[in-house]
Amino acid sequence: MTARTDKIKTLRERVTSKRVVTTLIIMFALLILIAIISVATGSERIGFQTIVKIIAAKITGQPIDIAPEQQVIITDIRLPRVLMAIVVGAALSVAGAAYQALLRNPLADPYVLGVSTGAAVGAIAATIFAESISIGRPLAAFLGAVLTIATVILLGQSRRHAPTERLILAGIITNTFLSSVVIFLMTSASGLRLQSVFSWLIGDLGSNARLLPVVSVFIVLGIVIIYFNSRSLNLMMTGEEEALALGVEVRRVKAMVYIASSLITGAAVSVSGVIGFVGLVIPHAVRLSAGSDNRMVVPASALAGAIFLLIADTIARTVIAPRELHVGVVTAFVGAPVFVYLLRRAS
Amino acid sequence: MLEVRDIHFSYSEPLLKGVSFDVHQGELLAIVGPNGAGKSTLLKIILGMLRPASGNVTLEGESIAKMSRRKLARFIGYVPQATDVRFPLTAMEYVLQGRFAQGRILGFESDGDVEEVRRAMELTDSTDFACRLVSELSGGERQRVMLARALASRPRLLALDEPVANLDIAHQLKMFDLARRLTSTGEMGAIVVTHELNLAAEFATRVLMLKAGEVRAIGRPSEVMDEKTINDVFDADVLIDKNPVTGAPRITLLATAQEDCSLSRS
Repeated sequence: MTARTDKIKTLRERVTSKRVVTTLIIMFALLILIAIISVATGSERIGFQTIVKIIAAKITGQPIDIAPEQQVIITDIRLPRVLMAIVVGAALSVAGAAYQALLRNPLADPYVLGVSTGAAVGAIAATIFAESISIGRPLAAFLGAVLTIATVILLGQSRRHAPTERLILAGIITNTFLSSVVIFLMTSASGLRLQSVFSWLIGDLGSNARLLPVVSVFIVLGIVIIYFNSRSLNLMMTGEEEALALGVEVRRVKAMVYIASSLITGAAVSVSGVIGFVGLVIPHAVRLSAGSDNRMVVPASALAGAIFLLIADTIARTVIAPRELHVGVVTAFVGAPVFVYLLRRAS
Repeated sequence: MLEVRDIHFSYSEPLLKGVSFDVHQGELLAIVGPNGAGKSTLLKIILGMLRPASGNVTLEGESIAKMSRRKLARFIGYVPQATDVRFPLTAMEYVLQGRFAQGRILGFESDGDVEEVRRAMELTDSTDFACRLVSELSGGERQRVMLARALASRPRLLALDEPVANLDIAHQLKMFDLARRLTSTGEMGAIVVTHELNLAAEFATRVLMLKAGEVRAIGRPSEVMDEKTINDVFDADVLIDKNPVTGAPRITLLATAQEDCSLSRS
């Protein structure tokens, strides 16, 4: 008993700003290291020094004497893809952490709740009907995400409380329905368009580099909004009425966080398609090692999610080279067992 | 300190019909009444969770309708009936939540906050399990942690919603005794919604009896807890005498002859 108490004590000490900052710095350093390794990994072998030189040259605008093919591979193919994995991984993880706190349900995640598919419906509709507007896809995806989460919450509510299973069931039903809508939209699309929609839908991080700046802005903004509410979310995790009595403006926090998490889910989906389980696995792993305080969970999930998706994508593009796996396959292989484990523990 | 004036509230039917009462510093007011009398609704109105259709609640002269959530939270410490913590959270982290209204919306607890938490946990005798997970605590331990969280903000008023509903008799006694001791210093007042008439008679300075949304009686236990009033409020036959040790009213339920509706043919 004492040993156990001590273990919990060491595991879940009070979260202080110093502890958060130290953890985040270590994680950030790890992320940079993995990003460099990832950029170096691929069929064309390029050394670390060369990579650093190319990136430095790209930033400063100085010309360098490195083969232009190598420069193109780094700056136009691998680097955007690595950055995309980082922002999408961060977005999906933080959205998961936020939904879990708001819905008081460790199983909630943009994929399980159907929010990702809802965003996909919006994005596909925009691709088919308004392809010329480049910002149309993220905006339509955001709209799809907001409408979906509203529907799922409505369906998942029972008169008194919202039990875990009911909410997840509502998510599954919504997800199934929206998947049919996706198939319907795709059958009505044709030829080239269909192919581009298809490769995007199952999680391709390489094909939307031009949207990277726009979605990065959305995602960073959304994460900042959620982080700003993280202390309030701590209290809401133990119950909305209690949070209200403790001084949280519950309605305002809910509105802000729902909108922000839908924004980042929509932004992520609009460039990467539907990638499952990231938002489930990462916040869970973070809570397991660092406790449930959202002031730690939100930023640490962002970095851990970035690292996770970056590794997953690097595996996806190298494991059966020269062909590529879709990154969603890799995340599902890790995520589905974790989901089953969490579900069994919850009931 | 707390003034409740002519509160009306209805969902589909009127639930509270003109409720008025006061709570002063140093007082422990027990609100009793049958299920559905409106006790919890009344508590939620005082906590600012529900808005009354008409009437007013003021704390030290200031209407709660005009107060911010945070200000109200600094005034009233709320202990809910039960807490349902689904994420790993230590008792100390839980009690630290009570300091939310004192700090910034985004920020970390100061050493002063931790000191207040230590004080609150000592008052409720819950320091020993500060580092254990709330989900792993027993009912009595959890109730004490919940009370500590309410005390952490040094409120002027404590609002307890059926604090002993899940406790065994020894812990029931401890909880009421603690509530009484906390208020008797005169630093705060307390409202306790409860079904435990005997504990209310023993520990409350005043008892408010609510039935069908109306105040049927309010006053010291010895003044208002008589057989007629309790029978009227609860529709139950009771015998009331004096507790031979403390002299407080002692309520004994009388088993009355029930109508025979057994299926056996006599």
